[in-house]
Amino acid sequence: MTDLTNELRAQIADAVATATPLNIVAGNSKAHLGRQATGQTLNVSAHTGVISYSPTELVLRVRSGTRISDINQLLAEHNQRLPFEPPCYAQRATIGGTLAANQSGLATPWFGGVRDSVLGLGLINGKAEHMHFGGQVMKNVAGFDVSRTQVGAMGTLGLITDVSLKVLPQFRAEKTLMMPMPLPQALTYMSRFFCQTLPVTAVVYWQGQVIVRLQGEPATLQAAAQQLGGSEMPMHEAHKLWQQVREQTLLQPQADEILWRTNVAANDSHTMVGDDCLLNWAGAQRWQCLKQTAAKPAGAVQYAGGDRQQEVNGELDKTSQRLQQNLKAAFDDQAIFNPGRLYSWM
Amino acid sequence: MTSMQTAMPRQQLAQAMTNIVAPAQVLCDDENQRPFECDGLAVYKQMPWVTVLPDTVAQVQAVMAYCHQHAVPVVVRGAATGLCAGAMPNASGVLLVMTKFNKIVDIDAQLAQATVQPGVRNLALSEAAAPYGLYYAPDPSSQIACTIGGNVAENSGGVHCLKYGLTVNNLLSVTMVTIEGELVTFGGPGFDTPGMDLVALTAGSEGLLGAVVEARVRLLPRAEKVQVLMAGFDSVTAAGDAVADLIGGGVIPAGLEMMDKLAIEAAEDFVKVGYPKDAAALLICELDGTQAEVAAQLSEVEACFKAAGATSMRIAKDAHEAAKLWLGRKSAFPAVGRISPDYYCMDGTIPRSQVGHVLTRIQALSEQYGLPVANVFHAGDGNLHPLILFDASKPGELEKAEACGGDILTLCVDVGGTITGEHGVGLEKMPQMPYQFSDQELAQFRAVKQAFDGQEILNPGKAIPTLKYCQEYRSIQHD
Ligand SMILES: Cc1cc2nc3c(=O)[nH]c(=O)nc-3n(C[C@H](O)[C@H](O)[C@H](O)COP(=O)(O)OP(=O)(O)OC[C@H]3O[C@@H](n4cnc5c(N)ncnc54)[C@H](O)[C@@H]3O)c2cc1C
Repeated sequence: MTDLTNELRAQIADAVATATPLNIVAGNSKAHLGRQATGQTLNVSAHTGVISYSPTELVLRVRSGTRISDINQLLAEHNQRLPFEPPCYAQRATIGGTLAANQSGLATPWFGGVRDSVLGLGLINGKAEHMHFGGQVMKNVAGFDVSRTQVGAMGTLGLITDVSLKVLPQFRAEKTLMMPMPLPQALTYMSRFFCQTLPVTAVVYWQGQVIVRLQGEPATLQAAAQQLGGSEMPMHEAHKLWQQVREQTLLQPQADEILWRTNVAANDSHTMVGDDCLLNWAGAQRWQCLKQTAAKPAGAVQYAGGDRQQEVNGELDKTSQRLQQNLKAAFDDQAIFNPGRLYSWM
Repeated sequence: MTSMQTAMPRQQLAQAMTNIVAPAQVLCDDENQRPFECDGLAVYKQMPWVTVLPDTVAQVQAVMAYCHQHAVPVVVRGAATGLCAGAMPNASGVLLVMTKFNKIVDIDAQLAQATVQPGVRNLALSEAAAPYGLYYAPDPSSQIACTIGGNVAENSGGVHCLKYGLTVNNLLSVTMVTIEGELVTFGGPGFDTPGMDLVALTAGSEGLLGAVVEARVRLLPRAEKVQVLMAGFDSVTAAGDAVADLIGGGVIPAGLEMMDKLAIEAAEDFVKVGYPKDAAALLICELDGTQAEVAAQLSEVEACFKAAGATSMRIAKDAHEAAKLWLGRKSAFPAVGRISPDYYCMDGTIPRSQVGHVLTRIQALSEQYGLPVANVFHAGDGNLHPLILFDASKPGELEKAEACGGDILTLCVDVGGTITGEHGVGLEKMPQMPYQFSDQELAQFRAVKQAFDGQEILNPGKAIPTLKYCQEYRSIQHD
């Protein structure tokens, strides 16, 4: 529980004055993501604590260095949850890093990703100015949505000091079902989870099975399980599997491998459809470990492993690149925040 | 600013536009342009210099490129149902009307997604999706008329936002034409793209960053069961507490709306749906989901409302009765329009816990200004729509209504809320922007604007005040 806003701002002001690039780090759980970090370390990990939490408002406001595991624990005490179910990365992940790296979890297609839970945030820009955007209310369209723009920006637009999040009630019951089927059939089968009202919160395809997590009212789960068929996975096994998918430990690249990730239309039948692929989000998010020497899967992001000096997030068209460069300059004209972490040219 | 510069001669601009679109798609005389003078907030009016109604993306690109090259302001317009003068034309600029882009490009029933042109009406999309058992969730009360392009630009909400989110939460990708005339797409068919979230930045950008020419949105399956109930309370505070208890207790209804006494009476007199006219506040609650889910939630809602002191409760027996209960709420604006020559609709959002306090303060402001205020709002989201009743034909009443509205908005900011939950800033709420944001924050917004539009010719003078404007504002406040 420490508010280090002023110290962080002073450090940033120094860096601005001396044109020193900064590498923003909190739990250091995501060093393997994005491009190789450079710059002087700006440590946010001690900037922690709940600023406000009102369970009846469904709103939580925390400092950016607060750990996801601590947030989960606090929310659980009040029978609530983070809708986007981010990884905890061995208790090291913080909310600031989670937001910057857009770590949206299992339930994203049904309850939204990180951006959908963000209500507002505090940001120190490249002029060392501390500002607030959005707020603690559910709806807010005053000014540009600077808060959600930060999601996925990998800290390149500024230092996030605090985050306000929408939280949701915990589910009362849970059930996991397995249906063995070949992939082409699974791709069609899984689209029902977008088109039917089912109490579903996770759907993966892994090792020849569609695996579905149902969460909600006990009676509803019963009815849905009957409708879907398949066999039920024992609870402890299911918990282990969902944890592995959430924590991204199911597929871990060896030293000579790259973990690729791609976001596609859920029923795309061309991209990452091998037996060794993990399909999350009912097929809309796909993962695959390949030897570094293997060809890059089309459109994929080099999520972890391999050469982190090269472009890992793919190419952008000219206009997008120009607009993002302009935006970078709008927030950080001296390019001191996480230079090159997102793209080599930014 | 550009708009202050001498305008390009009207005939010259019109001629240039007819080189891009057919002559019938260019309007430049007052008579034909009269219908385009304002949006839904008709107190702000401005005759456009030249109005263009393109029907291909290439034409939009050419119009934008031309205006960029000649520093001509551009205002993009959808159906003009906006309530903040966001689509009000510019005196020396082009009004780019997007209503000809009214095609639903694709409904992908398997993925529950739709690709639409910006001029598609909100309700038309849900109607087209209906045969597949799907619908488009964000449902502004203006959904018969308003367009998806306008919805994206305002990040519009509706009565079902509480559970299903605003436009931004249902938006997968946006294609827009930049002021340079370049075509760019943010987002994709998946739920994520690498890098900063430019789809979110575009949502709610009020036509300041580009012209949206296509959007890909999510559709949702129609719920198996929908249940509507209404409950009367003898104070707005009791109703406000019921809302907080319900949501805090773990029930997220599909919609949860509140009306106060004046609004209840006006609505009941107008549509006669059986609202309790003796109640001080009314809650309308919609639950949706599977049969089992809705049954379980219904008993929780009943228990919660009873415990909070509900004086009456009515559970709709069938879809017909449910529609009736909604009709009163959905007709609230026109109903208030019947009892007053004019009304002014506000859009502040506050933390739910502040509802009782804020409504009491609004009542005091109403008495102070001598103008009745009816309250209709999205209670679940804390999004208020106070309707200030006035008579524009009486000298000074409009100014009084605006002053009262301004006070309501600053009150919302004071309790930790915002000046606009879903209607946008436009021209209307410019005076309150420096109250909600610091000069540094406003300068940051301007820098974002300039990243997309260096000359600031896209919808100039709207949404983001200049530093000069703020300084003037602050000096007035301190006098
Ligand atoms: C009776 C009534 C009820 C309403 N109820 C609600 C409600 O419940 N919830 C709610 O959120 N709003 C509501 N509104 C407000 C309004 O309907 C919404 O803001 C709507 O999204 C505006 O859509 P439009 O097509 O009419 O846009 P317009 O009014 O034409 O434009 C609105 C803004 O969007 C910009 N714009 C329009 N099209 C484009 C485009 N293609 N590209 C870029 N910018 C564009 C314009 O420049 C302008 O700034 C209501 C309005 C009325 C009159």
